[in-house]
Amino acid sequence: MTAGDPPRLRLQAVDVGYTYSGRTATQALETISLDVHDSEFLAVLGPVGCGKTTLLRIFAGFLRPTTGSVACDGSVVEGPGRERGYVLQEDAIFPWMTVRENVEFGLLARGVDAAARGATSREMIRLIGLSRFEEAYPKELSAGMSKMVEVVRVLATDPAILLLDEPFGALDAQTRARMQDELARLWERRRKTVLFVTHDAEEALYLADRIVVLSPRPGRVKADFRVDLPRPRSLEARFSPAFSALKRQIWEALG
Amino acid sequence: MPPKKNNFFLGPGLRTRAARAFLGVGALAVLYGIAAEIGRGRLPDRIWLGTHYVENVQLLPPYRSLLEETAFLLESGILLDSVAVSAGRVLLGFLLGGALGILLGIATGRAARAEYLADPWVTFFRFTPALALLPLFVLWFGYGEGSKVLLIAASVAVVTLLGAHQGVRSVPRVYLEAASALGASPGLAFRKIVLPAASPQIFASLRIGLGLAWVTIVVAELIDARMPSLGYLLTLAGAYPRVPTMVVGIATIGALVLAFDLLALAVHARATRWMRRTA
Repeated sequence: MTAGDPPRLRLQAVDVGYTYSGRTATQALETISLDVHDSEFLAVLGPVGCGKTTLLRIFAGFLRPTTGSVACDGSVVEGPGRERGYVLQEDAIFPWMTVRENVEFGLLARGVDAAARGATSREMIRLIGLSRFEEAYPKELSAGMSKMVEVVRVLATDPAILLLDEPFGALDAQTRARMQDELARLWERRRKTVLFVTHDAEEALYLADRIVVLSPRPGRVKADFRVDLPRPRSLEARFSPAFSALKRQIWEALG
Repeated sequence: MPPKKNNFFLGPGLRTRAARAFLGVGALAVLYGIAAEIGRGRLPDRIWLGTHYVENVQLLPPYRSLLEETAFLLESGILLDSVAVSAGRVLLGFLLGGALGILLGIATGRAARAEYLADPWVTFFRFTPALALLPLFVLWFGYGEGSKVLLIAASVAVVTLLGAHQGVRSVPRVYLEAASALGASPGLAFRKIVLPAASPQIFASLRIGLGLAWVTIVVAELIDARMPSLGYLLTLAGAYPRVPTMVVGIATIGALVLAFDLLALAVHARATRWMRRTA
């Protein structure tokens, strides 16, 4: 790609609306249009209940939009796909598998042989500093570490696109900051297209290239920010004037 | 904290449990001894049975006569032969009923619609006493070994069916979605997600089923009742009546249930060692 070319479009939502049926029908998303380009780290930021999880689940292929359409690499999303790795909001580490078996699961599903699975999982587990826990069950891990295992479990299958749903939502502030550093480090090593959902403005600013702010339910795109902070970002970045200025703008957009 | 290795077969939890069981049984044995001592000479030894009196009943036989009875039953080989024969039937019925129940439970749990069909029937038969089924089983499966084993199998199958059904039903959606997002086929998801997630409930129901098999054996051995068998030993003891034989028979079955349950517990603990235990 030459310098002038626009980056390739990976994910696209066109006028997506979603209504949960039931006794009281709830309109989660009104009309959302969103483009995610190749190697872009996009954060979708919004208050609790604004439909951001719904949007991510539509991209992941677990929900069909009520109106509009969603495409991945130019073709309509029909269901879960191997090019899209999805980390759920809930704890979804398999408690009956060891850390290694968890990380190897996606490779097992692809029919990769045991030796290659072992090599990949060792590498992934080393990346998050859990080599000592390879053969441990998840019950021995802290909440933050088991979430990182879920992240590398998805990374092990080397998807082009990562869909992350508030992976660090349930952690305390310090652990959360440490996990953000881990994720940023992983992302800088192997650039992927990332769609990251969060309700935490600072987290979005620290990690993303671009932030899309959603309105309260039913969700609409309210603002779109470019984050031009230098990488790798560090503690310095968190307390820089540029960071604070952007944070203020985002807070105002969140209203 | 590095992962710690544990002897799961007889881990600390199980050893404490075994110790507690011995302590509990011991305490009861002491109380029985005291009661028997107090009752000696005070309890009646003639009992009216509606049509006639039975003489020389030992309502609470003292330890001496229990020991004599045990010695007689052991020396004559009656007790050990009966234990072997009855335990064999229990195990066979348990394996048969367990396998059948688990397979049916998984099948009904997997098929969304089968639940509506199977559910009322499981509840319907769940508390049907084995004694009520006995004459039917004799007519259906003959007056012999088959009916005994099948009666035990039926009582085990009902609880394991329920356990497997509920286990398969209650697999959290997040695990299935995570597996599907990682590219798992339905077959792989079944083997690696559904079965292990359901296994705690399946093993718990197997443990209950094993206890229930011992409850059913006494009834099942009313069919073609003959020695050696623990069920017939108890039936005979009741017919005479001979209280020391009853007590020894009941204690033997109780001890066997305890031993089998400890074994089941060890297997259960090993199979679910990944689970987070609340202290």
